[in-house]
Amino acid sequence: MAEIDFERRLDRLFAEAPTFTDEAQFAAGVSRRLDRGWRTRSWMIGAAGLAGGLVGVSQLVMGDVLQRVEAARGSISILRDSALHIRPLAEWLEPLLNGGGTVWIAAALAVVMLGFAVTRVIEEI
Amino acid sequence: MASANSTRNANLHDVELCALAATGDRRAFEELVRRHGSTVRALLRRMGASPALADDIGQDAFIAAFEQIADFRGEGAFAGWVRRIAARAYLRRMRRDRRLVELVSEEAEAMVQPGLTPDGRIDLDEGLKSLNPVERLCVTLCYGAGVSHAEAAEALNLPLGTVKSHVKRGLDKLRARLDPESANSDARRGNG
Repeated sequence: MAEIDFERRLDRLFAEAPTFTDEAQFAAGVSRRLDRGWRTRSWMIGAAGLAGGLVGVSQLVMGDVLQRVEAARGSISILRDSALHIRPLAEWLEPLLNGGGTVWIAAALAVVMLGFAVTRVIEEI
Repeated sequence: MASANSTRNANLHDVELCALAATGDRRAFEELVRRHGSTVRALLRRMGASPALADDIGQDAFIAAFEQIADFRGEGAFAGWVRRIAARAYLRRMRRDRRLVELVSEEAEAMVQPGLTPDGRIDLDEGLKSLNPVERLCVTLCYGAGVSHAEAAEALNLPLGTVKSHVKRGLDKLRARLDPESANSDARRGNG
């Protein structure tokens, strides 16, 4: 038999795997490990979201937000007056500038993030 | 629903299953594991891994394959691709356990006498037992995992010429076991 034929035969022999009796167990083991990896990843994403949400909310709540809003209100009105002198602002910006709305929007976004994180955790449970 | 998916997957070609797995379809990937698990485990055992280690590394290889499935372009067979992943994982494990250097420097001949199959033939697994560990590793890498001589040399940290010699010697021994008549006639032609 020529060498090349033997090599082909060897390729074929390597490709023909024996049948193992515990094939199903092996496949189940791979699935289990994939599940475990996916669950760990989901938990980590959920935990990161939760931590981020908590940090965001705590920064807003604990950081003297209301006092800053009050203090900023004066500056904002000065800025607004100055800006209005330069060029008229779109009407939709008015309520934001008057009420310190950006801070509340940021707070709302943080709460939404927290909501997502909690939902993910509940789904996992 | 799951049963319907399993039936559908059982009828799909590997390439189609890979495309589904790349979209995150776990059932499709599980079908690939069922189809090719034995090939991967057999390869690892043929490379010299114990059954438990072969199963462990085989599972690692399939998990790595799932994570990299988007990189699989379908240019070759999925089985070949996952076998290469498994072979590299085995070599990494051997290197990590500091057993690779020991293995490739081992020159002792294997003393195992191959056994016969019920029909009197010597099968591949028995034939491989007659090779020494480094010959067995080189032959299995090149013929079982489809790795080139150069890649095997790099993976084993051996000169290319040394790997080629190990493969040649391993093939000669295997041929003498698996196909003794042809090996003898070739040897006679060589002498004559």
